[in-house]
Amino acid sequence: MFLAKLALKNLTRHKRRVLITASIIALGMAMFLIYDSIQTGLNELSFANIINLETGHIQVVDKEYWEQREKLPLKNLIAQSENLSSVIKEIPYFKAATPQLKFSANLNNGIDQLPVLACGIDSMTYSQVFTTKDYIIEGSMFNQGKQETILGKKLANLMDLKVGDYLTLIFKTKTNTFNTIDLKITGLLQTNNPKINENLVYLPLSLAQQSLNLEGKITGMTIRLKEDGVAQQVSEDLNQSLASLDNKLAAHSWRASAGEVIAMSKAETAEKLTIMSLILLMAAVGIVNTIILSSLERTKEIGMMKALGLKENEIIFIFMVEAMGIGLIGAILGSLLGSLVILYFNLYGINLTALLGGVGDWGLPVMGRLYGYWNLSAFIFVIAFGVIISLLSSILPARWVARKDPIEAMYGIHN
Amino acid sequence: MSLLKLQGVKKIYQQGRVEVEALRGIDLEIEAGEFTSIGGPSGSGKTTLLNMIGCLHRPTIGQIIFDGDEIEKLPKEELAMLRRHNLGFIFQDYNLIPVLTVYENVELALRLLGDVEKKEIKERVVNILKSVGLGDYINRKPNELSGGQKQRVSIARALVKEPKLVLADEPTANLDSKTSEDVLEVMLEMNQKLTTTFIFSTHDPQVMEYAKRLLTLKDGKIIEDRKNS
Repeated sequence: MFLAKLALKNLTRHKRRVLITASIIALGMAMFLIYDSIQTGLNELSFANIINLETGHIQVVDKEYWEQREKLPLKNLIAQSENLSSVIKEIPYFKAATPQLKFSANLNNGIDQLPVLACGIDSMTYSQVFTTKDYIIEGSMFNQGKQETILGKKLANLMDLKVGDYLTLIFKTKTNTFNTIDLKITGLLQTNNPKINENLVYLPLSLAQQSLNLEGKITGMTIRLKEDGVAQQVSEDLNQSLASLDNKLAAHSWRASAGEVIAMSKAETAEKLTIMSLILLMAAVGIVNTIILSSLERTKEIGMMKALGLKENEIIFIFMVEAMGIGLIGAILGSLLGSLVILYFNLYGINLTALLGGVGDWGLPVMGRLYGYWNLSAFIFVIAFGVIISLLSSILPARWVARKDPIEAMYGIHN
Repeated sequence: MSLLKLQGVKKIYQQGRVEVEALRGIDLEIEAGEFTSIGGPSGSGKTTLLNMIGCLHRPTIGQIIFDGDEIEKLPKEELAMLRRHNLGFIFQDYNLIPVLTVYENVELALRLLGDVEKKEIKERVVNILKSVGLGDYINRKPNELSGGQKQRVSIARALVKEPKLVLADEPTANLDSKTSEDVLEVMLEMNQKLTTTFIFSTHDPQVMEYAKRLLTLKDGKIIEDRKNS
């Protein structure tokens, strides 16, 4: 205990040097915490956007349709049935379910034409599963059964359309013949998901079914659960129930549709590890440098300690505690600095729309304001990491110090 | 039985390709309670001899028996324990730890013993500091003390654990003559009061006169060993 006290007092010998070493560690730690906060915030926002605006928690579709879903085929659709609705309603954590009929179309404003994704929805149940309605910034949701539509403001701007204007959707029906629908725009959306803002046109489900010659057919049922974390387990349970109803049907959790985002998240974890390795290197170099300088300055003292009867392990212990102290100061300073920046991001966020200038979407379904995420485990990790790395990097120089011949140490002979 | 016995001790250092014979066969016996000085010109081997006696170096040839233990046979860790429990060192440069107070510098030697109660540590540290005239300086840091006061702290640190032998390498070399006399008086007083054995090196004849036994070294050999009347 006395030796630990001595080691901690030694930190006061060269306050400026200790502070500089600790500051280097602190800077690295703060960078890591800020990066982690933004990355976690970005992931959470991406996942929330996928669930709230694209996939819900679980989608029930035909197995063959699922394989081809990116091509938006009008084959392998499922029938809206009471039996299916009953099975879905019986799953645990069930909150709501809504049918969708997705198809590809061309949007025509009378002058230009653009390929879009059209989505027939039941506006009543859709609002219980998705939060899309909350992002209507002009006008309102269309009325079921009427030839009305809502679409992204960005798409509307691109096609020079506004609320009250008419647009035409041109598409192929089930029988491969062309058909068109004229729709009155009742609302414009600006969501946090760039895909929706730029590419989606919503219309009443019954109108879509009728126009595609697909009465009673849907591409899938989307389910909202009461909790986020149970989607995977519930979709597995639902698959078992569906097997007895129709073995062509399959349930997929939102994660199955978010493969790209999850892959990006994993890539970001690799980036995080790279940053951590750099911090590790910075901390280790700083600590090794400090310990070597300290030992060179204190060789006579080390000789005296050996003369007093201190064992090599006890001298190593003193230097290791000193290094741990520097690491701890660095980690605490880094945590404080990181907390201040994260607090700012947490309160005010980063305006991604302004940052990206509407150019792209980073490959993630995020727009709007990104808020920093408090990740307590990252703070605990950083403090533990700072202390452990400092301790580990001090072992070799401390051993070098402790093994000095007491006479050579006392007379200041350096080998 | 004598406290310390050296038989045919030689120490040869390798300096590059040259072998330097610092001690050329020392035979010496020291009894408990002695107050012995080692004199001689620079390079005569005084410090090397003290380092051998202090178990900081092993002899190249010969045998050193301290309190019945042949020190060249003891492993490094046991030598450290022998120094911790039985030897006190007083250095020319004091070698106090600057971040510790006077009290803590002295306390360190006792703390290392491990088996002394906290209350007893306090009692012994305060008593020894009073004995060396530093009772009023216990909370000072070394940089707030004069050279003589620092050396007194060094003496207190060496004596607080009541070692069998105290070794002092030129303890007055950095002090003026008045302070040197004070420091030697303290060492002598401690020798008489605690019957601690002292061996100190010096090349100052005035300092040498304090010793009860005078050894003179030249070229790594004892050329004179006499009692001081």
